[in-house]
Amino acid sequence: MRRAAGVLVMVAAALVQVTWAPRLEVAGAYPNLVLIAVVSITWTLGVRSALAWACVGGVLCDLTSSGPVGPHALALLVGVYVIGLWIRNLERVTALRVAASAVVATCLYSAVLVLADDLLGLPVAPLGVAFRLTLAAAAYNGVLAPFAFEVARALHGAMRTAPQPI
Amino acid sequence: MYSARGQSRSTGLFLTLCAAMLLLAMLSQQPWAAGPRGMAKSALAPVEEVMTSASRQFDRLVSVFGDVSRLRAENQRLRAADEELRRQLVELNASAKENASLRKALDFERASGHRMLAAQIIGLGPDGFSRTLEIDRGTADGVRPGMVVATGAGLLGRVRESGPHAAIVQTLADPQSRVNVYLSTSGLQGTVSGGPTVLDLEIQHTLGVTPSTGEWAITSGVGGSFPRGLLVGEVATVTRRDASTTDLAGIAWVNDPTSISFLLVITDFTPS
Repeated sequence: MRRAAGVLVMVAAALVQVTWAPRLEVAGAYPNLVLIAVVSITWTLGVRSALAWACVGGVLCDLTSSGPVGPHALALLVGVYVIGLWIRNLERVTALRVAASAVVATCLYSAVLVLADDLLGLPVAPLGVAFRLTLAAAAYNGVLAPFAFEVARALHGAMRTAPQPI
Repeated sequence: MYSARGQSRSTGLFLTLCAAMLLLAMLSQQPWAAGPRGMAKSALAPVEEVMTSASRQFDRLVSVFGDVSRLRAENQRLRAADEELRRQLVELNASAKENASLRKALDFERASGHRMLAAQIIGLGPDGFSRTLEIDRGTADGVRPGMVVATGAGLLGRVRESGPHAAIVQTLADPQSRVNVYLSTSGLQGTVSGGPTVLDLEIQHTLGVTPSTGEWAITSGVGGSFPRGLLVGEVATVTRRDASTTDLAGIAWVNDPTSISFLLVITDFTPS
């Protein structure tokens, strides 16, 4: 049940990202809903679950973009793992920390995506443009992440209290 | 909070998944994997189409409310006007606009002399680095990678990948996009490169000739990647660089990928 709900959330996030999110473009950047969902999962369910969902979300992103299947998933995995290292010793979750983790994850995601494209011999965006877009996307994702985290926490709470099938 | 063992298990999982994704990326990039990859990408296309269509309906609804509020501000007597009639009026206007746009595209097809295939945009790229569009036509309709894509207004980009029933188009706004152009009045030649907010044009210096704002940038056909004569945009800004061999200009692109809903794939032009 939880896995099915998770898959639904990821598919919805990926589809909204490629259909509706680009309409919310600010300074050339638009929200990365899959990344925000994965960051929220990291804070809610922990790193191991988030790594698995990062793969699912990343592959879905790869299926909606040009090029090979895998770079988006790889980029999300790195972001999740690094913020997992940071949050594992934290006692309290605050909106600021969630926002900061989304900013860090976005920067890592973008860096790995550019690097992976370069390694795979795909055309890479000029560094200046990539840097500017990364900063704008990091700010955008940082603002949205605390809200997404609250939604993820509420969903997680509802799932835990729901009666399990015998 | 986490034990050392838990951490090492997370690291193991992370490394395994990274290796798996790298392997998947390398395998899916192979020429023999192009077919299955295209089919997998086409699988999401119908849902994307439905969502994009819903998004357009939503835009239409928002424009209805926008028009209503503007009319209210302009004239208080219109407050009593029938809501349904106004909604229908706006919808009719939207249809008329679409009709005009389709007519423009048809004129463009006739004037250009190329064979074209109309396609609907069903999705946009998932990240800011690659400005791509997904269309509802694929190899089954004759769409092949490398084909040039335009709208009634002018050049939009080229097909980068195609699956059976969907294809991905790299737009001119993509930072990796390059197209050779000439300017309509001065005749200067240059290369347009993509950017997130504006297209950049590097113009080669020619003695005694200077570029000016308001000129049209038109594909030159140099390099054989794009056919000659497609409109790209209008020169909006010019920056003189005396220390360099080129001047820089900002191009106001004739297309806005977020607002167009259909496009034309030129099927009879083969890039060299």
